[in-house]
Amino acid sequence: MRRLVTVIVVVVLVAGALWTLRHRFEPAPAAGGMSVSQALGGVPQAGFARAVVPRPFRFPADHGPHPEYKTEWWYFTGTLADKTGRRFGYQLTFFRMALAPQEPPRTSRWATNQAFMAHFALTDVAGRHFYSAERFSRAALGLAGAEAVPFQVSLEDWSARETGVTPWSLRLRAADGSGALDLELASAKPVVLNGERGLSRKGPEPGNASYYYSIPRLDTRGTLSVGGERYQVTGTSWLDREWSTSALSGDQAGWDWFALHLDDGRDLMYYQLRKKDGSADPFSAGTLVAADGSATRLSRDQVRLVPNGWWSSPHGAARYPAGWRLRVPGEGIDVQVVPWLADQELLTSFRYWEGAVAVKGAGGVERGSGYLEMTGYQTGGAAGGR
Amino acid sequence: MILIRAGLRNLVRHPWQAVLTVLGVALGVAVVTAVDLANETAQRAFKIAAETVAGRATHQIVGGPTGLPEELYRQIRVGHHFRGCAPVVSADVRVAGRSGTTLQLVGLDPFAEPPLRSFSSRFANGDVLATLLTRPGSVLLASGTAGQLGLKIGDRFRIQLSGTTPEVLLAGLLEAPDPTTRLGLESLLVTDVASAQELTGRLGRLSRIDLVIPEGAAGARLLKELRSLLPPEATLLPAGARAGSLEQMTRAFRLNLTALSLLALVVGMFLIYNTMVFSVIRRRRLIGLLRALGVTRREVLVQLLCEALLVGLAGTLAGLALGSLLGQELTRLVTRTINDLYFVVEVRSVPVMSQTLVKGALLGVLATLAAALPPALEATGAPPRAVLGRSFLEARSRRLMPYALISGTLVLLVGVLLLSVEAWGIAGSFAGLFALIVGYALLVPAGVVLLARALRPVLGGLFGMIGRMAARGVLVSLSRTGVAAAALVVAVSATIGVGIMVGSFRLTVTSWLESWLRADLYLTSAVEADARRRPPLPPALVERLSRIPGALTSVTRRVTLTTPQGPVELFAAQVPKSTFVSYRFKEGSPQAAWDSFSRGDALLISEPYAYRHRLHRGDRVTLPTRTGPLSFPVAGVFYDYGSDQGIVMMSRPGYLRFWEDPGVDGMGFYATPGTTRERLAQEIRTRVGNERVRLVSNAELRQSTVAIFDRTFAITGVLRILTMIVAFVGILSALMAMQVERARELAVLRALGLTPGQVWGVVTGETLLIGLAAGLLSLPLGILQALVLIFVVNLRSFGWTMDPYLDPKLLVQAVLLSLGAALLAGIYPSLKIARLSPALALKEEE
Repeated sequence: MRRLVTVIVVVVLVAGALWTLRHRFEPAPAAGGMSVSQALGGVPQAGFARAVVPRPFRFPADHGPHPEYKTEWWYFTGTLADKTGRRFGYQLTFFRMALAPQEPPRTSRWATNQAFMAHFALTDVAGRHFYSAERFSRAALGLAGAEAVPFQVSLEDWSARETGVTPWSLRLRAADGSGALDLELASAKPVVLNGERGLSRKGPEPGNASYYYSIPRLDTRGTLSVGGERYQVTGTSWLDREWSTSALSGDQAGWDWFALHLDDGRDLMYYQLRKKDGSADPFSAGTLVAADGSATRLSRDQVRLVPNGWWSSPHGAARYPAGWRLRVPGEGIDVQVVPWLADQELLTSFRYWEGAVAVKGAGGVERGSGYLEMTGYQTGGAAGGR
Repeated sequence: MILIRAGLRNLVRHPWQAVLTVLGVALGVAVVTAVDLANETAQRAFKIAAETVAGRATHQIVGGPTGLPEELYRQIRVGHHFRGCAPVVSADVRVAGRSGTTLQLVGLDPFAEPPLRSFSSRFANGDVLATLLTRPGSVLLASGTAGQLGLKIGDRFRIQLSGTTPEVLLAGLLEAPDPTTRLGLESLLVTDVASAQELTGRLGRLSRIDLVIPEGAAGARLLKELRSLLPPEATLLPAGARAGSLEQMTRAFRLNLTALSLLALVVGMFLIYNTMVFSVIRRRRLIGLLRALGVTRREVLVQLLCEALLVGLAGTLAGLALGSLLGQELTRLVTRTINDLYFVVEVRSVPVMSQTLVKGALLGVLATLAAALPPALEATGAPPRAVLGRSFLEARSRRLMPYALISGTLVLLVGVLLLSVEAWGIAGSFAGLFALIVGYALLVPAGVVLLARALRPVLGGLFGMIGRMAARGVLVSLSRTGVAAAALVVAVSATIGVGIMVGSFRLTVTSWLESWLRADLYLTSAVEADARRRPPLPPALVERLSRIPGALTSVTRRVTLTTPQGPVELFAAQVPKSTFVSYRFKEGSPQAAWDSFSRGDALLISEPYAYRHRLHRGDRVTLPTRTGPLSFPVAGVFYDYGSDQGIVMMSRPGYLRFWEDPGVDGMGFYATPGTTRERLAQEIRTRVGNERVRLVSNAELRQSTVAIFDRTFAITGVLRILTMIVAFVGILSALMAMQVERARELAVLRALGLTPGQVWGVVTGETLLIGLAAGLLSLPLGILQALVLIFVVNLRSFGWTMDPYLDPKLLVQAVLLSLGAALLAGIYPSLKIARLSPALALKEEE
């Protein structure tokens, strides 16, 4: 009983956080007549900065936190393999959430208006094992926080820290239970601004947008531990950075987000915002990054996205697409996006599917790999939307 | 069938007697039930509160007087990668303007909580969490507590804390997942750890760190690693240790209450026994007839025991109901005492506890049956013809007297033996006490005979034939009067014993206060709290007040150190030598101890501390200091009645050296010749300015201390009065039954020509004589009980030495009590006899 209560609360908390953080969708009102939008103050509070017009990005300052916005994240994902070809996927994400726009002067070192959440997941393809964990902390007393120079973001002993400036390099460390990673990342492509010079609109209302940049390719090497075994791995990572003070678009149900490294050197980011009726929201958008780092904006009309069958979660009432056919006819892209493992559902308080995927061309030939995120597929009254 | 009818008939013919018997059982059961309920409720409230706050923590890291550095938490969680930990900042606070409401302020980090506490993360919505973290001074209360305080979400109220009364905001309600947690939450004021630090002024410090350590080898390894991280001032303890030691603290207190309640039951049992004896004796003729008619011994025995069972059941039921009511009031008293003496526990509701009720019910029914068994056996055991004869009974009871004397003496000896072996502890001392009571009770009939014989000429001289008849009546009906008198003695002596003990204690405390409190004026922060929980005074104020011309000052600090053996109260004081030498020492002397004490090289321990830890002058005490555990020599053992756990006293220089805590929570001012107390008080007030402090004179402080003492013993007083009521009812019913049963005999007297007035004289004379005999005989037993309570029970429970003091008023009161009951008991039967025509009475009784 006690556990259940704790879970419910954390779910409310995280769901609210994640909702505000990631993208926006309006879940059905919870039993108490309270929707997630109310939890953690989803209705934009006066006092926070809003993403309304494009802004100049400055680095390294913008790698650091933007506490005047309500939410922000550092989203690391990557696909890796050891010398024998054993494949792994990883996700290490730090979310910052402002609990209040201002911070009154206080004397306790524990006092803060900023909280952090982090998700850590590992996919062991050969071991057919997917592992996930989450953490929360206040951004005080050195328990969690982010800084621009030198760049670092951490939640307790999970961290991403700058190790070099050119190329911009990072060390990622996280461990929990039977999974651990210690990776060196070096950016292989420059920063790419998504949307309109980094302003990514998510709805028709002014301010319903975020500032969004990516480093689509980071060469990665290091060690992974899964189930007590250590593996020396190399591979490619993706960093997504986004901050905003979001508002609602009431008819959105969830999203599907793709971050794919293609073997021809191109990288594709695309997110589809799904409406409650299942159709794609016109604000769905993406970026195609050429091998030389130049970026092209993609709009909904340029992309065709069709689910390939369905996978029902054994962990609860949710049914996710089992894969996708993704086409960008104007760019010569027609691929199947196939999960490396069917079950890469994060068993965190807020359930969603995020995992390593293979990109396959005609005849099932592998043309790349990447990450796929799917939310809003809860079928019952289960945890996800609340 | 005939048996049942006979039994019913008996009941209908003597309704008053039935009512009084039931009442006797009911009162006995009620007292035991109520005390048990009060004890259990208080203990449960404390335990649940402790468990709710501790949550699933298996271990705790605790620090010195000022807590732990918060950096340690980060070190463990981030540096040492151990996440099964959560910080806690806690303090006792009172809700301003509601002196009765004490709450435990608990500052938590909601993000670190999920593995630990079930309540802490249950917020009605996410906004509450945001408010809690970002609005300074926002708090959560259990919805029941908020309701009782008349607060709703968004309301602001003030709490008393650290010499200040900060305003806090009720940001939300704690909803308990289950009734047990709800009980535990009732006394909590939950807030964010940042707010808690700011409210208590303990910036940078934590009260403790709760840990969830896995079991097994990994856990043991982890514990070892964590211990190596701790600064010297910190200790890692199993989570149960604190709650356990606190429970241990009140054990003696609760045991004493239980024993007192059992005393009431013993008194009740005597009375039940007495009543059953009568009910059997009265029907001896009937029983004889039935036996002669062929009813078997067994059938009669069963019949009598069934009757007793009925009485027992009725009395027990009434007793349980009464006890539950009484329990509410006693719980208040017990809780108050625990709050005064031990720790904060708030009880807002007294649940009906099934185990208490079962205990009370079993006790009531079994006690009644046990008391009824001997007379029932006696009546059924004799041959029918003998049963028919009254003279047989009286002869037998006189013949048995030597045996009663011998067995009484033996039981007394057993009691003395029990009392003399210290190793048998509190339980042994109470067993001894009960043995003394029972043994003495067995001697009472002989005592009555002696007294009645001695008084016969006196009564004869005073009242002539009527007086002699009364005295003679007591003697010839010894089978009845003896038991009644014994019951009476037990009841009355209990009230004497407890009365003397409390009186002696009070006097001892009063005279101790005189030697202990020597300053003219005392200053503390203005928080309504006892000395144990006083926050420090502002340092600047202490500085200002330290240099008042024309005055000597003393500064004190009282802190609780957490040791693996439980909490130790440390009293750090800087007192003038002139005051110090007036302290009364049990071992050593203030003159001899002064040098090493004032330098901080040695410490003093109070008598209870020495008793509990088997320490003497010259032994060593190990205390956790800022630099780790250190052992100090004991320079002396002093008398102290402020804490039954005992205190350790250290001079201020020593305290500063070993604990580096400059805090001062009390100051004393001694007017030097040439200045008056009034002028001094004026000067202090000027220097205090706007600070919220409490300045009291010596007399006021003494008075308030004695008031706390009186409050502590209020429950004892209540129990004493309850025992007195049980005794009174019992005496009344016993003597009344005896006289009603004699109706025929009295009718004969009437027929022989005695006037109603003269009959009244005989009856009242007889009951008064029994009352007087019992009253007088209860005096030695009462004094004996007082001595046992003072020198054995109290010493073993609390380690206190007391000067026995006998208040003659108590003795007079006891005799008057038994005389009063006896007098009242004589009225009804004589009135009844006076109203009846002798002829009718003669007829009716056969």
